[in-house]
Amino acid sequence: MENFSEVLTLFFVWDNFIAIAIGVFLGVVIGAIPGLTTTMAVALALPFTFSMEPVSAILLLVGIYKGGMYGGSITAILIRTPGTPASACTLLDGYPMAQNGEAKKALKMSLYSSVIADIISNISLIFFAAYLAKIALNFGAPEFFWLICFSLTIIVSLSGSSILKGFLAATLGIMISLIGLDPVYGSQRFTFNDYNLMDGISFVPLLIGLFAIPEVIDFYQRKVASKIVINASGKEVSWSEFKRCFKTIVRGSFIGVIIGAIPGSGATAAAFISYSEARRKSPNRESFGKGEIEGVAASEAGNNGVAGATMIPLLSLGIPGDVVTAIILGAFMVHGLTPGPLMFQDNLSLIYALFIGIMVSSLFLLVVGLGAIKYFSKIADIPKEILFPIIVMFCVYGAYAVNNNTFDIWLMMGFGVLGYIFNKTGMASAPFLIGFILGPMFEDNLRRSLLIGNYDMSIFFRGPITWFFIALTLLSIIFSVKRWLSYRNK
Amino acid sequence: MKFKNTVIAMSLVASSVVMGLGSSSAFADWPTKDIHLVVPYSAGGNTDVLSRRVADLLQNELDVNVIVENRPGAGSTVATGRLARGGRNADHTILMASPGHVIGASIYPNLPYDAVNDFKFIEKLLDAPNIMVVPSSSSYNSVAEFITAAKSKPMTFSHPGVGSSVHMSGELFKTLTKTKLTAVPFPGSGAALPALLSGDVDVSFENASTVLPHIQSGGLKALAVTSSTRFKLLPNLPTVTETEGYELGGFVTTIWNGIIAGNAFPDEGVVVLQAALQRVKERKEFTEFIEKMGAEPSTASGEEFKLFIASEVERWKMVAEEAGVRQK
Repeated sequence: MENFSEVLTLFFVWDNFIAIAIGVFLGVVIGAIPGLTTTMAVALALPFTFSMEPVSAILLLVGIYKGGMYGGSITAILIRTPGTPASACTLLDGYPMAQNGEAKKALKMSLYSSVIADIISNISLIFFAAYLAKIALNFGAPEFFWLICFSLTIIVSLSGSSILKGFLAATLGIMISLIGLDPVYGSQRFTFNDYNLMDGISFVPLLIGLFAIPEVIDFYQRKVASKIVINASGKEVSWSEFKRCFKTIVRGSFIGVIIGAIPGSGATAAAFISYSEARRKSPNRESFGKGEIEGVAASEAGNNGVAGATMIPLLSLGIPGDVVTAIILGAFMVHGLTPGPLMFQDNLSLIYALFIGIMVSSLFLLVVGLGAIKYFSKIADIPKEILFPIIVMFCVYGAYAVNNNTFDIWLMMGFGVLGYIFNKTGMASAPFLIGFILGPMFEDNLRRSLLIGNYDMSIFFRGPITWFFIALTLLSIIFSVKRWLSYRNK
Repeated sequence: MKFKNTVIAMSLVASSVVMGLGSSSAFADWPTKDIHLVVPYSAGGNTDVLSRRVADLLQNELDVNVIVENRPGAGSTVATGRLARGGRNADHTILMASPGHVIGASIYPNLPYDAVNDFKFIEKLLDAPNIMVVPSSSSYNSVAEFITAAKSKPMTFSHPGVGSSVHMSGELFKTLTKTKLTAVPFPGSGAALPALLSGDVDVSFENASTVLPHIQSGGLKALAVTSSTRFKLLPNLPTVTETEGYELGGFVTTIWNGIIAGNAFPDEGVVVLQAALQRVKERKEFTEFIEKMGAEPSTASGEEFKLFIASEVERWKMVAEEAGVRQK
């Protein structure tokens, strides 16, 4: 390759390494603070990149993105407050692990899983971008609809002790997701003419309320004996545990890659799908949700697998798959570069320099992550009487910071009470969340398919991708029913 | 000694009174503190990126900090409502308005503010056209061909959300041409593009900055530009209004951005900001920046900006009613 030396000169400058280091560091820290999302961090960093060289500029933003994807899991595991929406799923097993004195193990597993998923995602970007982009283009509304149907069958497997309660929680999640404007007609649904409700319920206040607040109420109810015993000096991830989780990590990474390559899907959905697949395949199915290390690995692999893959439609088609990549697209444009097929002709060296940088950023994530675990685990040393008021403060700040709106603080408190009721009545919050996340996607894609197909149902069976997901959905339902029947007969 | 102090004190008071008088007439006494530039959308969108650039250039002109504040919610109506209410800091708060300001007013009749009379319109910054695009596999090569086809069979257009400029442009086109177009909503332009590229939807009236790269790479075919004059970056592309045989003279839609403030904002602040923003618009950093977004600097300021808003509100109100998206 004759451009090889050009690629190396483009990449091997100090600026790039500094940009990656600062990016990943900022990402991890901001990701760990509830309410400060990765999107916000990338947007705020954008103006600083205007005066930088293009490669450093993009790498800074990519670094923040990747760091943030991991950072969110730190507070999810330690204080049951997901730093970013995508880490909500990590909490399901990460926090119980922390309660069992395995905080360090959970944090490390989450980091290893994130880094491996990140690398797999990068490799897919570098080698299969063109191929995956083609799949993404063929992934229209009907294909999406069946993928969501398949994902909704997860609810059965994540319902905890009672399938009925699982369905109840999921239905409640779907109902709450309906609040806001109708996606097709723009008419108001359950908004009571209140402008605060017109955009629907914000995800971050809901998450913080649902998970963090019940713990706080619980602590003050018991006054002294908190059940949180975070032991930061606990055990490391053992080799046998890592080996056990490896398959799950790889599977989760690929789920993340596929979902990331399709514009408009998102890391949160990828984490949940990866989690439920891991549970479905695992021999330790029963311990999921109670502190299963495989659950942490699956969830983080799912959301970090998305990070590199969202660059696939951006670089190969010029289509930003989510808000973060839309900002990165903006950064490209400011430097006079237009991502898309033409860029592979005109700026090939620059793309390869970026690829090297993206790979390097995964390694930086490992280093920064290990440092972060060391310092963040010091949270464990804070006496609970001091820690809990601080958590409440972060909850209030986090809920407010997303939209700079005090209404969201009340919303967060409301979901706190709901979360408390869930805990007391043994309802699982996972199906509630899945209903809330996937419900709107189900509706959107169903209605979009019907509009595109002019209300002709044959659009739902239009090609191999739809058939593939129909088959998966049916199989998933059959297996779930079979398992339930055999469970009942026991 | 005491006398000397008194003299100094008196002269200080006198000079400050004189300076005070001077500043209220000859020298503007604004800004006296940091300016807040409210972005009525989340961080990361086009309006947000533009606002951060403008804030940066504006603080060089005015020697105070210009702080960008994101207040998303209900289109842009939550932030705009707050601006209209005034309150603390209203004399140093401005907002980056966009088509959402007029479209919001045309869709929701019960807004707690009057989109025209409750605001001071300071400076319109830029205009950018939308482009009527079809998939490259489409057999239509002109607006006229497309209309003929769309009259005989149902067709679809994609848009990034109800009430967006792209959506309303499609509805306006449908009304003017009396065709059977169906609006297909997507969560944002990024999600809408694949459907357009793959031919799942038949047409869109997307922002120039979104579709330009795809027109250049051959993924999309441009049929016309929606501005009243031809587009500098695609000079061979006709405007929709040039279409012969159809009454499309009224089909002019643009994306625009401008700075507005509430009525509590001081008039001298308006004068100072207008002068500063006009200097910003001439800066190379600004013109080059917006050119990449497919936009051109606008010349409208003050009263002209206000008249533009008033006519836009009326127009979109009619389109929204016709399209059935105006809420009761």
